[in-house]
Amino acid sequence: MPLNQPPSPLSPMPRVDADTTAAAGRRRPRLRVLLTTVAGLAGLAAAGWSGHADLLVVGSAGVIVLGLGILLALGAESGAVRIPVHPSVPAVSGSREEAETYALALELAPNPVLLVSGGDADDVAARRVLFANAEARELLRIPRDGALLVTALRHPGVLEAIDESLFGRTPRTLSYESGPQERFWRVWTKPLPPTSTHDRLALVIMRDETDVRQNERMRADFLANASHELRTPLASLTGFIETLRGHARDDEVARDRFLAIMSRQAERMARLIDDLLSLSRIELNEHIRPSGRCDLGLVTTDVIDALAPQISAKQVRIEVQGPVGDKALVAGDRDQIVQVVQNLLDNAVKYAPPESVVRVEIASGLTLEAVSAARPEEGRLTAPDGGRMSLLTPVRAAAERFAMVRVDDRGCGLTREHLPRLTERFYRVEGQNSGERTGTGLGLAIVKHIINRHRGGFFVESAPERGAAFCVYLPMAPTVATAPTDGSAVSPRSESKGEGVAA
Amino acid sequence: MSMNEHTLKFFGEELDQLKAEVARMGGLAEAQVGDAIEAVVRRDVPLAEDVVGRDSRLDQLQHDIERKAIRIISLRQPVAQDLRRTVSALKMSSILERTGDYAKNIAKRALIISEAEPITPLTRSIERMGKLVSSRLKDSLDAYTSGELDRAMDVWQNDEEVDEHYNSLFRELLTYMISDPRTISSCAHMLFVAKNLERIGDYATNIAEIVHYEVTGEEIVGDRPKWSGVSGPAEPEA
Repeated sequence: MPLNQPPSPLSPMPRVDADTTAAAGRRRPRLRVLLTTVAGLAGLAAAGWSGHADLLVVGSAGVIVLGLGILLALGAESGAVRIPVHPSVPAVSGSREEAETYALALELAPNPVLLVSGGDADDVAARRVLFANAEARELLRIPRDGALLVTALRHPGVLEAIDESLFGRTPRTLSYESGPQERFWRVWTKPLPPTSTHDRLALVIMRDETDVRQNERMRADFLANASHELRTPLASLTGFIETLRGHARDDEVARDRFLAIMSRQAERMARLIDDLLSLSRIELNEHIRPSGRCDLGLVTTDVIDALAPQISAKQVRIEVQGPVGDKALVAGDRDQIVQVVQNLLDNAVKYAPPESVVRVEIASGLTLEAVSAARPEEGRLTAPDGGRMSLLTPVRAAAERFAMVRVDDRGCGLTREHLPRLTERFYRVEGQNSGERTGTGLGLAIVKHIINRHRGGFFVESAPERGAAFCVYLPMAPTVATAPTDGSAVSPRSESKGEGVAA
Repeated sequence: MSMNEHTLKFFGEELDQLKAEVARMGGLAEAQVGDAIEAVVRRDVPLAEDVVGRDSRLDQLQHDIERKAIRIISLRQPVAQDLRRTVSALKMSSILERTGDYAKNIAKRALIISEAEPITPLTRSIERMGKLVSSRLKDSLDAYTSGELDRAMDVWQNDEEVDEHYNSLFRELLTYMISDPRTISSCAHMLFVAKNLERIGDYATNIAEIVHYEVTGEEIVGDRPKWSGVSGPAEPEA
């Protein structure tokens, strides 16, 4: 290819040229175009969708039709959501007002809905989103109109299905999985009749099927995990029952001892089942953003009170540093955040040597950079086999501030190789001499899932013989104007726990 | 040079098209990686064969993008951001093509691994690492398509997570091979799978660097936070 050719579009060009010429003839889509199609579209929403044999579609169409009904009943007074109708657009059926209402119905539909136009089949950039309703805009982070289709959806299966509707005029249905929160989507693509401005139009409707899929997976996982973990204590129980029925029948001393062990095993089974159930519950809701808010400082105080028996039994001292009062308000489900702090603190107390100090630090108003800039003392990072490991990194949201809790213990610490696996279910650090295993092996897994649901982050720092620090950070509640403490004021020293692999 | 308005608009469209094609290629590479991991984890032979078969599509896309980018450079002589966008597309296409090669390699190994006895804890570890790598690839591609610098920087800064998973998996595999020599064959393949995933994670970081370059015109200054020097064995052929 000639490298020094002048930049004239008219100059003779090699073969590739056909593309450019095609591009010249192409028009950029304009959003006003949209409205011509809206009326026809709405008709499709009412008739086409519900005519589909698939129950799920009937369901979603039902919701949309219902939404339309409500809108009409309200006289569309809300005015909050208005889709502008270009005055030059002639209504295809009914008045312009009606078309506007149909467009609003689509806008308010609970499922992501996209209207896609296509130009030349070979030109990816010609496929544009003419309209994305509110759900679609939020999910795909695109504007209402004009986005390149590929910036909204990249999955090759989905693109192919849309192409088939655009160019092959056939409807398609498919499922795909996306995102760090593991969401499963079912996608319907449907061809739309051409309009005066667009030859190629397709409708894309998405439905979140995460609940269904998660349910299935959870059931399988739960069974596998539960049966495996319950087997050990159960075997021990049956063993003792045998013994008590047999030769220990009349031995009072042995009987008391066995019963004490059996009771501990039964408690362990109960704890395990509690943890498994709560993990399942958390995972089911993991893709739903929590509502509500709570203060990390207050939560920590409550947790320390609740753990008072363990703390005094171990003669561990808890030192809390951080702002008092509503300074570390985070957006989140209080019960779950209590569970997070409790699991971390419980671990720290469990693995801290007797009569040592467990430090809890709370900081707020931190930027993501400030959180990750926080460095531990004690040379944990430089110690051989020590280090810092992020167990969960949040997706960045603009201008977000974080509040964090850090629990730091002086236990025996963990070697680096264990760090990435700490949040794995039932993961155990071998050779952990923390006495009897009282944990279920699910504590940190629970922490991770809760924090993921809250779009927060979680990291650990540890080195052998230097204790461990576990730190969680959560997005702060939005309305609280975070005083720009900017992290510099609040140095993180967080909760840590020694080899607390099992919460 | 003098360009009238039409020519400029025309040119902008060409650049959009180039970016769109890179995004599409990214989507395909992403799916290849996801499916390859799935094939290992679920011991899904047909899926692995699909991944191997689809790789040529990526090669073809790379070829197209390269041709178009060179054409833009030679005919339009872009400067400043236009030049960076063109060069970025060029770099992206070659990174994505290599990502696809690694995915194909993983899929080929999935075919072999699925013939041996399953080692569930190991496939779990692979799955975990795979999810992490996939999400980093997704984040970096999101950053590319949206041009969001912050998201790119997040990917760039959190590289060590993947490395740690790799090191941990490496040790885990060694433990298996030492304790039961019958597992050596599948473990060796898993080791390459892990290494490939680690490389794909590196490519995600490279994509983040490209986004930074495309948006700001500067290379990222400073070192990535890293404290691990451990590395695995030699690379497999892609």
